[in-house]
Amino acid sequence: MLNVKDIISTLQMVREENLDLRTVTVGINLTDCVSDDINTFKRKIYDKITRTAGQLVTTCNRIERRYGIEVANKRISVSPIGVVAAPFNAEQMVEIALTLDKAANELGIDFIGGFSALVEKGMSNGDRALIDAIPQALTESQRVCSSVNVASTRAGLNMDAIIRMGQVIKQAADLTADADGLAAAKLVVFANIPQDVPFMAGAYLGIGEADAVVSVGVSGPGVVKAALERAIAEEEHMDLSRAADVIKQTAARLTRAGELVGREVANILQLPFGIVDLSLAPTPNRNDSVGEIFEAIGLPAIGSPGSTAFLAMLNDAVKKGGAFASSHVGGLSGAFIPVCEDLTIAESAANGTLSLQKLEAMTAVCSVGLDMVALPGDTSAEMLSAIIADEMAIGVINKKTTAARLIPAPGKKAGDHVVFGGLLGEGPVMAVNMGNQENRFVRLGGRIPAPIQSLVN
Amino acid sequence: MNKVLISVLGNDQPGILATVATVINQRQGNIENLSQTLLHTVFGALLLVDIPKQETPESLQQALQEASASMGLNITVHPWHEQIADWHQNKPETQPYIISAIGPDRQGLVAEVASQLFKHGVNISNLQAIFKGGKNPMENVMVFEIDVPRATNMDELREALAEIAKRLDLEISVQHRKIFESVSTILT
Repeated sequence: MLNVKDIISTLQMVREENLDLRTVTVGINLTDCVSDDINTFKRKIYDKITRTAGQLVTTCNRIERRYGIEVANKRISVSPIGVVAAPFNAEQMVEIALTLDKAANELGIDFIGGFSALVEKGMSNGDRALIDAIPQALTESQRVCSSVNVASTRAGLNMDAIIRMGQVIKQAADLTADADGLAAAKLVVFANIPQDVPFMAGAYLGIGEADAVVSVGVSGPGVVKAALERAIAEEEHMDLSRAADVIKQTAARLTRAGELVGREVANILQLPFGIVDLSLAPTPNRNDSVGEIFEAIGLPAIGSPGSTAFLAMLNDAVKKGGAFASSHVGGLSGAFIPVCEDLTIAESAANGTLSLQKLEAMTAVCSVGLDMVALPGDTSAEMLSAIIADEMAIGVINKKTTAARLIPAPGKKAGDHVVFGGLLGEGPVMAVNMGNQENRFVRLGGRIPAPIQSLVN
Repeated sequence: MNKVLISVLGNDQPGILATVATVINQRQGNIENLSQTLLHTVFGALLLVDIPKQETPESLQQALQEASASMGLNITVHPWHEQIADWHQNKPETQPYIISAIGPDRQGLVAEVASQLFKHGVNISNLQAIFKGGKNPMENVMVFEIDVPRATNMDELREALAEIAKRLDLEISVQHRKIFESVSTILT
């Protein structure tokens, strides 16, 4: 017999606090599709993707009904195209992106990730062609997402790649000027990218992964907020130690729901189960915001002094709860602070409580980085690269993943409003200090060496 | 030895089990199994008891009633022959589900839901309700724990329940029990 209180608390999480499975992501290895003939390669990847994930959507719908929990997105991640499509040029890379898009469309899934390159130490021909193709590929496709890893703790920062990514982001935004630079919202630049992220836009299937694998991304900032609010209202001796405990327990419960669904989908699809990624990933809706958790704990708003300290605690407690509840926690696991995807964070950015500088400081302790940040359209490519370099340095030195998803919105200036729609949301254009000036530091290029691993202070 | 089934109903108060168990013990009976529950302040218990050959259900009932006269209890002793119901004897393979009906209490809710479940070959293993009144729908919830045989068509059952929900202006959901176990039970 189940305790009726437990049943009600689970119902509440689903019904009122926006517990959802943000994504079931099937990773598909494309290394066995390699060919130096573009048509053969396109046919092989199309066939393998549609064959492997043919039942993904119907299976998720079935599981959704069985457990009464929404699976918000169904996604595919593939081997980095920069590697498996190495023989091809930029034009052909665009064709490949459109083939991925077509396969995604055929399957009825939401996003396909892996239009990616790993260039933290150097760039191969395939990587270069892929990066050249990104602006057009993301403009012409609907569901393709792209990521480029430009730095790691073991390799340092590839500044040549970072210079190039500033230009690529700028081009991608300009090509989609009528949609506030939407193509740039589907592109993330990473340091220390994990091989098994189920979340977009950074999902790709690492080279060390199986032929196909099912991973799950669980979210639920609303559940954490409600749990903290309840504890603060009901408990007499509430302090931050207890708050960390509440977050851990909530994270563990969310992870359990994700693992149950992930394993069941994997079982039905007869694929191995990979990982649960428990990330507080907001959507642009009330009660589904990471920013609201900051208010629940007593900060005036996200971005005020104290925000970095609380975010550090939140991110750590989420990881601890997740790691306890499942043996295979992976991906990004922690708290995201995307500006445009989170209603409250967007509000704080719009009214000036949250500046780009404070946001950058907070990324040192969040699970990703500068995420979904709209910038003035006249921000120079060089300054975009400089922002990326700053963000990557934080990840490299702190041995963590950091990322930059920057959208220089064409024609928009600081304080204007941009709209990307759907999960990508909307928000204000954030001011960049000296954003349209030149930056000779970045222009020097080369590599910033990997950091020393001793003398830690 | 013979077996009897004793039901005890009454207002909850200290001493009910002490009184009942003492009488059984004095008369050389042995409690094999028991289950007790509280519905708000109402006490209810079922006891399965081995009694000696010379004892009869009638005399035991009388002794229990006399001993508990001041407590205002309703005690009945039934003769019991171990017969297992057909459902339990030939129990089909089932999957455990939870039905939750959220919203204010409606007359006929239990009857309607239970009748549909019966019609679809489903057994109710437990039924719990919280009706605190007020506007918060989560404080007015009825929870059915059910066993659904493989032969039951879940889609038809869901449709039938959705129809009831619409008519009675309630939210009814049907979810596999595993989701509640996974989320609620972290330490096993």
